[in-house]
Amino acid sequence: MAQYIVRRLAQAVVLLFLLSILFFALVNLAPGGPLAGYGQIRRMPPEQVAALKRQLGLDKPLPFQYLVWLVGNDWMKVDVDGDGLGDSLGTRQGILRGDFGNSFRSRKPVVDELNIRLPNTLYLMAVTMLVALGIAIPIGVISAIKQYSPFDIAVTTFAFAGQALPEFWLGLILILIFYVWLKNPLTGDPLLPVGGIYTIGTPFSIADRIAHLILPVAAGSLGWLAWYSRFLRSSMLDVMNQDYLRTARAKGLSQRAVMFKHGLRNALIPLVTLLALDLPYLFSGAVFIEMLFSWPGMGLFYYQAALQRDYPVLMAILIIGGISIVLSNLLADVLYAYLDPRIRYS
Amino acid sequence: MTKRLFSKQSFLGIILVLSVAVLAGCGTAQTPAATEAPQPTVEQPSVITIAIPEDPPSFNAAISDSGYDALVMNLVLLGMTAIDPEGNVFPVLAAELPTEENGGVVVDNDAWTMDVTWKMRQDITWADGTPVTADDVLFTYQAIIDPNTGFWIPGIDLVTGVDKIDDYQFVIHFSSVYPAHLTIFGNRQVVIWPKHYCKAEQGFQSWDCGREPLSSGPFILEEWVTGDHLTFVRNPKYYEAGKPAIDQVIVKIVPDATVRETMIRMGDVDMLMWATEQVAANLKNVPDVQLSISPTNRFVMRLFINLAAKGSTDPEADPHPFFADVRVRQAIRAAVDVDAIASTVWHGYAIPVWTEFFRPPYDTCDIPRPKFDPQAAMALLEEAGWVDQDGNGIRECHGCANAQEGDEFRFELLTYAEYGEPLILTQQLIGEMLKNVGIQADLSQSQGSVMWADSASNGIEQNGNFDIDLYDDGYAGTDPTDFIWQYYNSGSAEPDMGWNIGRWKNEQMDELLNQAYILDEQERQNIFCQMAELLDEELPQILLFSTLNADAYSSRLSGVQANVNSVVSWNAADWTLIK
Repeated sequence: MAQYIVRRLAQAVVLLFLLSILFFALVNLAPGGPLAGYGQIRRMPPEQVAALKRQLGLDKPLPFQYLVWLVGNDWMKVDVDGDGLGDSLGTRQGILRGDFGNSFRSRKPVVDELNIRLPNTLYLMAVTMLVALGIAIPIGVISAIKQYSPFDIAVTTFAFAGQALPEFWLGLILILIFYVWLKNPLTGDPLLPVGGIYTIGTPFSIADRIAHLILPVAAGSLGWLAWYSRFLRSSMLDVMNQDYLRTARAKGLSQRAVMFKHGLRNALIPLVTLLALDLPYLFSGAVFIEMLFSWPGMGLFYYQAALQRDYPVLMAILIIGGISIVLSNLLADVLYAYLDPRIRYS
Repeated sequence: MTKRLFSKQSFLGIILVLSVAVLAGCGTAQTPAATEAPQPTVEQPSVITIAIPEDPPSFNAAISDSGYDALVMNLVLLGMTAIDPEGNVFPVLAAELPTEENGGVVVDNDAWTMDVTWKMRQDITWADGTPVTADDVLFTYQAIIDPNTGFWIPGIDLVTGVDKIDDYQFVIHFSSVYPAHLTIFGNRQVVIWPKHYCKAEQGFQSWDCGREPLSSGPFILEEWVTGDHLTFVRNPKYYEAGKPAIDQVIVKIVPDATVRETMIRMGDVDMLMWATEQVAANLKNVPDVQLSISPTNRFVMRLFINLAAKGSTDPEADPHPFFADVRVRQAIRAAVDVDAIASTVWHGYAIPVWTEFFRPPYDTCDIPRPKFDPQAAMALLEEAGWVDQDGNGIRECHGCANAQEGDEFRFELLTYAEYGEPLILTQQLIGEMLKNVGIQADLSQSQGSVMWADSASNGIEQNGNFDIDLYDDGYAGTDPTDFIWQYYNSGSAEPDMGWNIGRWKNEQMDELLNQAYILDEQERQNIFCQMAELLDEELPQILLFSTLNADAYSSRLSGVQANVNSVVSWNAADWTLIK
């Protein structure tokens, strides 16, 4: 197993390297450039535009820019005055040494902003997924046990609706109901806050945090809930037809013990794998939810960076996304083998 | 098997514990901010909230001009001067405006250079008590011109040096007479930075004081929670006695426009910066929301006409088959009903504009408003050799100047997508109006970053890959000369040398532009009016209407005044809450 993991990690490094070239090419070759929306560029004299390009390293050919992005330029002289000769050492360290570069927009290290936004997204997405799972598991089990019952039919309909509803629309409706229409009977304020992580200017309070979580989690978890409960229902139905469940029943175990000890545990194995594959969403966030509920997370960060052609930010998020997808795939494979002794990797 | 699986429950447990830890971690991370919040005193502090869609890039609006940076910069920092909504420059850090009369401006008529001596107020300090002096101005100038880390600001390439005379006086040397010299170190984008606080080695674009500024203005930044909000408190050392009247300003980041509008309706937000025409119309009858409209406007929606054939940048060798003929351009102007567009798509907030010189103090030229007259448009087209002989509704060339006999009058009308619905609808209406006179406009949209990219990045305009483009532009500040130069000078018609993307080259205009860089205001007005007449005859661009510059605010606020020459926070010190 250890050998298998090492081999997969080695493959991952190569894969990420190739991915980074692909990302870099895609981001840079997309029509248009970062400078079109840059400050007063439309009013700048041409020689100033050229100087700005040199400052940002955009004057160099793409393969060279990629090299700087990867290994930095603090080991070579950079042309500052535009005479074609190197003047002073560069300042970039390159991504291999943890330097994602500076945002074109804020001119600050991309890492600084990632450090703030990543925890916000993890927080929202972890709660969203836990809530979705917490509800989806019982629903999936009951639907499977009571297949074609009114409950099952209702839940199935609800699940399809949940998957079909756009988050954006659902979020707006939730805001309309819980922020605009419904009032807190005690204070007369809106029942729930419309957005943000906490109320500005108030001391830390768990209740306040939870109040701010309710709407974004409700809007964000519905799709997951539908997806996980449907998945668990069919997985549970599969397991219920297995011989070992018949054996368990024949041994005289109660229906409850059969379902939960023997049925559910086996049915959960594929769900755990699925969950591992969904882990990247913890990092990437949900752009519509973050936008609607003013949640300063990664989804929104990516969206804004894409609109503003902020290449260093885009590259950082794409690479983090790539790493999390590669690692979660590996995790899913490993977990699957670990949880299901019938699977062996060699 | 059951037993083994049982032991693996710990796995799910770990996930649960981890998530709880993440939860708790996020909680504790922000607790310090919460505990630092001011304790409620006997008198409730007055707090107002402004909603904007994204974080300001920094407090230094000179380097990014997103508007949101200008909003927060004007809350905390002062420039030498500022510009009021009518376009008058007034002193801020300066004790008075230098003029030729008071000896502040000295022009060397032989060398055509000039020196401008500034006197500074002596009663303004940074929030830490240090006086704001000429050293800070020199420091700011040095940071701006640093070749490694500096950033171009308008007019700076004409400055050959800044010398200190004493602590409160300095002189700026210009290599040429520069009419807009008053606002070089004081406008909505440029302020003076503290020498003793900002770290020069970090550079003008990325120094820490650009995110944690030391105030000279009415408010002090208390905290900036990235992506969430910025909190400002009253600066007790602010130089205007008794101001500001507001204790706290919160700038809240609310990315979604619908949510922002809902919040001001609900009273949770007191101000929306830059209310669009749609938002203004939506909020018109909301009792507790007011709209402040700037008395003058800046951005003019216009048609940029390519006089060179699509794909070419040489109008002489490859004249545009349709638009090289001035009669065709005049016909298009006569065929577009600006009032109809303004009253529908723009909810009546758009104001017809037909000359570049429509803003005070240069709005004195007598250029009559062109008439909407489809009959005249059709007559002009026929005169130019564009007739619909096959009766399909689209004119063909029959004796026209620059196209093949029989070619249909069909062109691409391009605009950019980010502006949103009003621009797309305007494009559609113009297309229909042109259709009515026998011209087929094929509508298309592109991203701004593609349209305006340089020629090497396949920029559509710099490479001349368009027929007519539709969007808005206008000059910041009070002086139109540089703006007019960029759009109408022959030199600016070369790729990447400016924005004369229609490649209109006119010797008379070049001559007038050269003459316009003088200080004699009367003579300048005269020159501008000659330009206005020339542009009206030649029509290298067709100007349509100016768009709204307005800010929405809660009725409990007073003193709010939208300012097209700055941003709404230009007079934040004067805002008060109505009890």
